Amino acid sequence: MREPVRIQQEDFSQDEEITALKASSKRIGGIATFIGCARDFSEGRDVIQISFEAYGSMALAEMKKLRSEAIERFGLLDARIVHRVTTVKAGDNIVFIAAGAEHRAAAFDACRWMIDELKQRVPIWKKEITPQGDAWVTPHP
Amino acid sequence: MIKVLFFGPVADRVGSSMLQAEHRLGMSLQTLRDELAAQYPQAFDIVCLAAVNGEHVRDMSQVLADNSEVAFMAKFSGG
Repeated sequence: MREPVRIQQEDFSQDEEITALKASSKRIGGIATFIGCARDFSEGRDVIQISFEAYGSMALAEMKKLRSEAIERFGLLDARIVHRVTTVKAGDNIVFIAAGAEHRAAAFDACRWMIDELKQRVPIWKKEITPQGDAWVTPHP
Repeated sequence: MIKVLFFGPVADRVGSSMLQAEHRLGMSLQTLRDELAAQYPQAFDIVCLAAVNGEHVRDMSQVLADNSEVAFMAKFSGG
């Protein structure tokens, strides 16, 4: 079984991640997932590729803390977080988050909380590669 | 010595992803930031987060131990 929190270059399989999540407990009654993927536009410009850079050791540690906090805070039975750090093109997967709980409300709430917190706390940066040149993304508040 | 790390947009503006800074007894994170910001003002225009040994630090008065690893970072944009 692969680790529930990972940073990797290669794509992930949501089927494999959900299978792993389900295998953690037969008490799971609801699973909410979020997949972040690459858009082909940003602020009126075409985007050809998106390149990611991470402070790898800190990013992984923060993602592990995030998973533990989500499990505690929302009473989850399990959770998984996978973020790719590589160069992707439009339509490619970037991040996968799954929350498994006894009931749907906790799963939905935890999934939303994890992606929102990840964006605030995990040291990863994206650079958009456009026909006009490259630009690091300035996050929206 | 203190190992200073830069990533993404900050590394681009500094022109390097890592440099070594001389450690001095009682040196705070703010002191190190101020010294580097004087050398790399464009890079530090976008620095809004700091980490010491892989942990977020909000108290810039934190005193740095020798051989610390410090990162000065722009706002994250993962996900």
